[in-house]
Amino acid sequence: MSASQSAVRSRAEAVKVSRTFDWMILFTLFFVVLGGYHIHYMLTGGDWDFWTDWKDRRLWVTVAPIVSITFPAAVQACLWYRYRLPFGAVVCVLGLLLGEWVNRYLNFWGWTYFPVNFCFPSNLIPGAIVLDGILLLSGSMTLTAVLGGLAWGLLFYPGNWPIIAPLHVPVEYNGMMMTLADLQGYNYVRTGTPEYIRMVEKGTLRTFGKDVAPVSAFFSGFVSIIIYFLWHFFGRWFASTAFVSSENI
Amino acid sequence: MKLLKDKVAKLSFVALLAATSASMLYTPTAAAHGEKSQAAFMRMRTIHWFDLNWSKEEVKVNDTMTLSGKFYVFSGWPETVDKPEVAFLNVGEPGAVFIRQGSWIGGQLVPRSASLELGETYEFKVLLKARRPGDWHIHAMMNVQGGGPIIGPGKWTTITGSMKDFVNPVTTLTGETIDLETYNLENTYFWHALWYALGLAWLAYWVRKPMFIPRSIAIESGKSNTLITATDKKVGMAFTAGTIAIVAMAMASTNEKYPITTPLQAGLLRNMKTFEMPAPTVTVKVEDATYRVPGRAMQMTLKITNNGDSAVRLGEFNTASVRFLDSAVLEDTTGYPDDLLAEDGLTVSDNSPLAPGQTRTVQVTASDAAWEVYRLADLIYDPDSRFAGLLFFFDEAGKRQMVTVDAPLIPVFI
Repeated sequence: MSASQSAVRSRAEAVKVSRTFDWMILFTLFFVVLGGYHIHYMLTGGDWDFWTDWKDRRLWVTVAPIVSITFPAAVQACLWYRYRLPFGAVVCVLGLLLGEWVNRYLNFWGWTYFPVNFCFPSNLIPGAIVLDGILLLSGSMTLTAVLGGLAWGLLFYPGNWPIIAPLHVPVEYNGMMMTLADLQGYNYVRTGTPEYIRMVEKGTLRTFGKDVAPVSAFFSGFVSIIIYFLWHFFGRWFASTAFVSSENI
Repeated sequence: MKLLKDKVAKLSFVALLAATSASMLYTPTAAAHGEKSQAAFMRMRTIHWFDLNWSKEEVKVNDTMTLSGKFYVFSGWPETVDKPEVAFLNVGEPGAVFIRQGSWIGGQLVPRSASLELGETYEFKVLLKARRPGDWHIHAMMNVQGGGPIIGPGKWTTITGSMKDFVNPVTTLTGETIDLETYNLENTYFWHALWYALGLAWLAYWVRKPMFIPRSIAIESGKSNTLITATDKKVGMAFTAGTIAIVAMAMASTNEKYPITTPLQAGLLRNMKTFEMPAPTVTVKVEDATYRVPGRAMQMTLKITNNGDSAVRLGEFNTASVRFLDSAVLEDTTGYPDDLLAEDGLTVSDNSPLAPGQTRTVQVTASDAAWEVYRLADLIYDPDSRFAGLLFFFDEAGKRQMVTVDAPLIPVFI
């Protein structure tokens, strides 16, 4: 067979090869994204995502969406521009969460004995589905950045509240009031995660009184819009193909 | 030749697999916490731990033990570490092998950070409940904001029994008694599984159709509009609206189920009660101090004046949790960890009782392998090569007084 001849001899064979290629690419994409996104999220979100006593109503709500919209934006841009496939955000988050769960179960629980109910990861899937949905329905990266980025920030806290609310039930402990999450952090000793790092509610301006989480979520959504724009350019750049003229070789 | 090459390649591959598997499966227990690698000046010139007591050496799962003692916040705190204005009393242990049921400084519970004063002594206690069987090195520890963890002495403690029996019951302010070890676990798994399934469903909808090559060809040939169908948009609408609806409903039902919740608690405790040590009547001036590298010994020339009304003798030099004792004056009966105790490590050129009103200049030598083992000799490579420690003098009635020393240290290499 010469180089100019096709590798397949029938349409059925071409379809079969194409599907095999689909699965190979998807498999590779899933695990490459899992690794890269996981490292990125561990380094930038870090402890805010590791422990229940760090999942607060101010900084966690702000930090986690901002640092986590990065890979979904880039992969969405790549898959949309090249293939019109609107599952970039979901495939990223599914990969991240699989990696996170393996990490939390094998490392946090298996090696260092922290109970899983203390170190489970944050849930990012609602934001990812909506981000992909908006891209599909609008067909516009700009609208996805503005509406999807905002939704990503706004959905984060309510998407996690059913999981963390039981840990915000108060308890009286040796004459002090804590939440159950605080008590987990106090009971299950971490040598490198002292209590003072969690002191984030500083400042006297409380226009919205005790409703801190919605304000943080809106702020997070606004910044997520900017981060989406920035990272979708990375995705576009990564998805671009540059041909070199044979004369220049 | 080819056969031989194939065999070598095959055997190499098997060896590589075996080595990889062995290295993955061999996970020995982490026994200590890098305390020896912490800069010597940080251990010598920040928090001085003394009178430490580990109430038990062997504990059953669910039983408790206490780690108690005192710490002196060194007045000559180094500039390279932030002052302990925000500090957290911690425990150094390999994972949550014990849970911390309570910790107190000066009798006050300290689940939060505390502000400590330089030059003051504090009494502390940590109540620990055994959770994971094994032999564990349990340290006193202080985290200082801007400084990091400052680790104190550690002692091997054995936990017996089975972790399966461990329970951590807590009664909430809403009247419910729960086991914090497993509480909320099913709820966590349920929500994560549900959302993961929804994510997979979204992915499955798209991957059931041809993906990369045909779609790429379509876009290249200007037919990108044909790739998203009306059904796709309806499905996208359903997923988007459904997601928002599930989030809203789940939030509402959670608020109904848990009407009383509070934000995470954090804060700083000030005005911690200090421990009043007897006022020292002995004054000590360090004339010079050298560290003899080949002999693993530190030598100080001290000018000691006794301003009290009873003769005194030097019994102990304590630095970086290593205790150098003159056994003729003091013997340890507290079960202090052997590796941190030099029972005859302190030599004084003239340690006869120093009478009231008398001044004497003596050569004090603190020698032990601990200088090397605990890497205290590395002090000579620190950015501020000073040593510091506590001297304990004893009068004729056995009363103890504590004097601090803090001076430059000159290494001697020959």
